[in-house]
Amino acid sequence: MSEATFFLLTFILYILAAAFYFVFLFSKKEGSAKAGFMLAFLGLLLHTLALILRTVESGHAPFTNMYESLSFLAWSSILAYLIIEWKYRVRRAGAYFLLIVIALMALASSPLMPKEAAPLVPALQSYWLWLHVSVTLLGEAFFAVAFITSIMYLRAEARERKGRATPTGLSAQRLDAISYRAVSVGFPLFTLGALVFGMVWAHKAWGSYWSWDPKEVWSLITWFVFALYLHTRIIMGWKGRRSAVIAVIGFLAALFTYFGVNYLLSGLHSYV
Amino acid sequence: MRAVIKFLTSVRLAIVLLILIICSSILGTLIPQGRSAEEYLVRYGQLGGLLQRLQFTRLYQSFWYVGLLVFFGLNIIICTLTRLMPKIRRVFRPLVDADSKNIQALKIKEKFRLTIEPGAAKEAVKKELVRRRYKIKESTSEGRISLLARKRVLGWFGSDIVHLGLLVILTGGVVTGLFGLKQSLSFTENQTLPVPRADFSIRLDKFTTEYYPNGSVRDWKSDLTVIEAGQSVHQKTIEVNHPLTYKGYVFYQSGYGWDWQSPALEVWVKKSSDPAYLRKLSLKVGEKSVLEEESLQVTVVRFLPDFVLDENRQPGTRSLEPNNPAAFIEGWNGGEKVFSGWIFAKFPDFSRLHGAKETELSFELKDIKAPQYSVIQISKDLGVPLIWAGCSLLMAGLFLAFYWPTREVRLVIEESGGKSEVTAGGISAKSQEAFMKEFSDIMSAARKTR
Repeated sequence: MSEATFFLLTFILYILAAAFYFVFLFSKKEGSAKAGFMLAFLGLLLHTLALILRTVESGHAPFTNMYESLSFLAWSSILAYLIIEWKYRVRRAGAYFLLIVIALMALASSPLMPKEAAPLVPALQSYWLWLHVSVTLLGEAFFAVAFITSIMYLRAEARERKGRATPTGLSAQRLDAISYRAVSVGFPLFTLGALVFGMVWAHKAWGSYWSWDPKEVWSLITWFVFALYLHTRIIMGWKGRRSAVIAVIGFLAALFTYFGVNYLLSGLHSYV
Repeated sequence: MRAVIKFLTSVRLAIVLLILIICSSILGTLIPQGRSAEEYLVRYGQLGGLLQRLQFTRLYQSFWYVGLLVFFGLNIIICTLTRLMPKIRRVFRPLVDADSKNIQALKIKEKFRLTIEPGAAKEAVKKELVRRRYKIKESTSEGRISLLARKRVLGWFGSDIVHLGLLVILTGGVVTGLFGLKQSLSFTENQTLPVPRADFSIRLDKFTTEYYPNGSVRDWKSDLTVIEAGQSVHQKTIEVNHPLTYKGYVFYQSGYGWDWQSPALEVWVKKSSDPAYLRKLSLKVGEKSVLEEESLQVTVVRFLPDFVLDENRQPGTRSLEPNNPAAFIEGWNGGEKVFSGWIFAKFPDFSRLHGAKETELSFELKDIKAPQYSVIQISKDLGVPLIWAGCSLLMAGLFLAFYWPTREVRLVIEESGGKSEVTAGGISAKSQEAFMKEFSDIMSAARKTR
């Protein structure tokens, strides 16, 4: 079977997983959430195969154009989510989170995205491509988890303020703690992948570790927003609503770094 | 006044500065940086001048942005130092002696009684703590024994190491900005150029472009030789992502191009009446070549690598790449111009020769050769090692801050009638759940002692 077939099967599995997670939202039966988890996990395995096949066929890392990079981001997001769910039992987040993953997969498979594996331009022929992009996207995937749990926090908090209890025991306080855990995984990964590996590679390929290229600046902005999140939280004790809002802004900044910069601003990073 | 100083040394200021830096950085990605004055005039009108005066057009190098970063750095130093001092005291000169009441005020705590005397109880508890890699300090006073057990103390300093890393990176950035050398040199093959501010030269021996089967570029390679005092001392083929480093100077493959000043052109002449007729002319721009039997002088007047007609329908070149090479040729017979016109290497059918007389000759631009040059970027930057040192500290600090949580257990053992009254409490800033489990494991193991 070809990479495209695996990609399609993966896509179907993610949609099914989302469907089961949504059933869980309404039925509140553990069983459907577990089915969602298993389907998403199966999807992750097939997705991994698709990425391996892609790498073998093209002979280079599977994130050199927008299709590949979206697919890889979807893969890292599922990975990040499954880890967080497995560790912290945040079943309710599955339904919302898989919507993001499905959106990424849909975007990747849209006819607007060129799918052919083009040979690598000289600047991308480096093992730093693997390190820089994969670690960065994995970090961003954890920011995506924090984004979903923060939005869920904001809703749960509003509900609790009106005196209504949260269904299925996922309290606002717990969502807040889980957002923080997700950021505390995503932040070091993003720092390492985007900024440190980015600087090392830029130094090797372009001859200067920092060029104030829009993508660099936006990574720095994303990093600063999450630094703000950590400092307001740890030093100034801003838990809860304000913290959640900063996490949401941080994810939007990461999204713009990943997506917006390519289409709206021009610079050195115009590969995909 | 005190309030002002307090603010200047506060985390609150750090937050304000972070927000300011974020906002101005965003602004810098919205306003195109480092363009010409005319471009800003066209884009922003009257506002353009103001933006330039406020240095918004080279924002990241502007006094106020750099000032903001430096101010931020100073704030980091102050905030880190004010938090560091108490931490150091807590690590190296801790107050071991504790009151059981204070320990009971802790969130994680336990109290139990052992049927052995305090000395033995202490040893039993210590054994459990040591087994879990705790380092223990103890003190005895007023008939009570106090223990202070800790592990992963370095975790407390995670954030300080992150801050130190950031300061080292900032310093590296300043060093790069002030002393960094960055210059591009264009070499044609066999050309030797002196390296600026250095006592050696670089020669380009060979420049090659490698292509994929589909025609796109795979790589550019330059064979470089380092020449010192007339001797070649080092040789390396550099390519994109693989620079040459010599005596602190780094040489990057950064570009290439053709010298279109005097390309060598090959023009084929054919005759419609005689299929066997073929003459090959080698020409340079401005040179004449004679077709004897036709008593014709052919000359190339102009050459364009990437022919295009501009809006006034005048020929020009779109780029310096040989995408659509074209030559303007003229044919002369004595003092009389017989024909003239453009011939195209890629589109031979488009050639249009205008002449006073019909000619049965046709001209094709078969080949063009121009000396290619390789652009080598030279940089010498003492800031770079600082950047890597800073990055290492940054990552080590982040690891310690997030994944190396310091754990502290305090115990007071008091004697009451030959038995021991043990009060224990624990502190861990992060990963409370894991710590709570470990704490209760230690306690239940200690309880079993007899």
